[in-house]
Amino acid sequence: MGKIRAGLLVLIGVLYALSIPWYREGGADPELWLGLPDWVAVAVLCYAGAAVLNAAAWLVTDVRDEDEGDA
Amino acid sequence: MSFSQLGLVGLVLYLFMLVGLALVARRARQDASPADHFLANRGLGLFVVFLTLYATAYSGNSLLGYPGEAYRRGFSWVMATGFMMAITVVFHILVPRLRPIAMRERFVTPGDWVRHRFGDAPGGQALRWVIGALMAVALANFLLAQLMAMGHVTSEVTGGAVPYAVGVVGLAALILFYETVGGMRAVAWTDAGQGVLMLVGLLLLLTWLLGDAGGLASLTESVRAVRPDAVRVPDTVERTNWVSTIVLLGLASVVYPQAIQRIYAARSGRTLARAFALMTFMPLITTLVVTLIGLAAIPRFEALGAVQADTVMPRILESWAAAGPGSSALAVLVFVGALAAIMSTADSCLLSLGSIVAVDLMGRDRHEAATTKLGKQYAAAMMVVLVGVALFPRFTLWRLIELKMELLIQCVPAFLLALHWPGLRARPVLFGAVAGTLLAAGAALLGEKRWAGVHVGVVGLALNLAVVMAMALIERRRA
Repeated sequence: MGKIRAGLLVLIGVLYALSIPWYREGGADPELWLGLPDWVAVAVLCYAGAAVLNAAAWLVTDVRDEDEGDA
Repeated sequence: MSFSQLGLVGLVLYLFMLVGLALVARRARQDASPADHFLANRGLGLFVVFLTLYATAYSGNSLLGYPGEAYRRGFSWVMATGFMMAITVVFHILVPRLRPIAMRERFVTPGDWVRHRFGDAPGGQALRWVIGALMAVALANFLLAQLMAMGHVTSEVTGGAVPYAVGVVGLAALILFYETVGGMRAVAWTDAGQGVLMLVGLLLLLTWLLGDAGGLASLTESVRAVRPDAVRVPDTVERTNWVSTIVLLGLASVVYPQAIQRIYAARSGRTLARAFALMTFMPLITTLVVTLIGLAAIPRFEALGAVQADTVMPRILESWAAAGPGSSALAVLVFVGALAAIMSTADSCLLSLGSIVAVDLMGRDRHEAATTKLGKQYAAAMMVVLVGVALFPRFTLWRLIELKMELLIQCVPAFLLALHWPGLRARPVLFGAVAGTLLAAGAALLGEKRWAGVHVGVVGLALNLAVVMAMALIERRRA
């Protein structure tokens, strides 16, 4: 379970990196895609993907109410 | 009936509902302990936890500040969807570790963790005070932003019938009433209703705006026609700022005192995990929606010249109301939803502020009924002071949020690092927090917001972490 959660969090990190338009030249005039500037549409899709993965990560997370050890 | 009259009617009905909820919450009280008043006796279920987290996180900032920023900065404000979602991602580092300890040790305030973790070790007490002070200042700042937002919304939408000052003072008094009477139950229950109102209202408004613009593509083309820079790919500084804002908001928001107290207040860990699973989708249907609303304002208001960022949302509501009687009623619903969102954040801040000042700063026993009373008195005193400040606003809402985050992010090592690094001692964390705070606050006071797109608070955190690491290394070698 821990590995699945860690894997999901890594994928979320990758989507976050992709959401910022480093791949485009600053100041470029974009095409429209899904009614949005293309770089905005990519960002929205990345965040939608991150939301699904993050929800899955929370559902496999074991948040206990008591523990034996200390931090 | 005119829009401003409808707005007044909607406002009065809503305020009566809040008073009723507070009285019901009062009857549900089990005892006079701080845990009952500040945490609803740790009994909040899934939907209340989810909606109270939602209404607390999405506030006057979301409803007024974010559309204003989207209007000012253009499509690059899509970053807001990313940073709001980053909060629920970063909570993975905090919640699974903190929740079991908090339940076992019966924590009430965020400072209880610092007390438990560092105890009376050298620097422990000073660290507890520094973290408490940072959180109290940040909360006061956040509360001030909400008070200002309440004044703006009531004044703009009632066409000045309720002046800014009356809105601030009257609604602050009401919040103080239901928070004092009903505690966390009243706050969480009103949050739940307020969250639903806000969500429904925003979705209806966006639907109207998109329909009026002829669809999303037409809206984008309209923005491009009047302000091409708003559509173009952001430059390097703006992209760096995108990363910095995600780091700033993602990290600082997880140490929101009111969010930490909701981690303590949930009925079970499973409830909490499910609430966060739901919360992760909210940026897509709230932050993205308010961003599009702010963008839709660009072609509408560009011809009017400079429009104050914080007034974009109320102006859009006025335009919607003018479209017909049906729109007018729906605009009132959004208005009440916006006000609800603002008040829900304000009440959460106030509740947290009272507990932090009483327990973490004044050192009162977190299990005694007298502490509850003292917390209420401190909250009332803070509210009076902040209302006075709100009557003479000097900053935009977004600037207030940034200032708050720049301070709050300096608490991150005391929570995120200390939870995962058993060998970490109090003194490195204390010196790191002081160094980071001095840098961030000093730069902010000198008028510096960002360096090459990076927030001064994030630079302060980097210094904070560097000091923590260096001192931890030195202490380890000495040992």
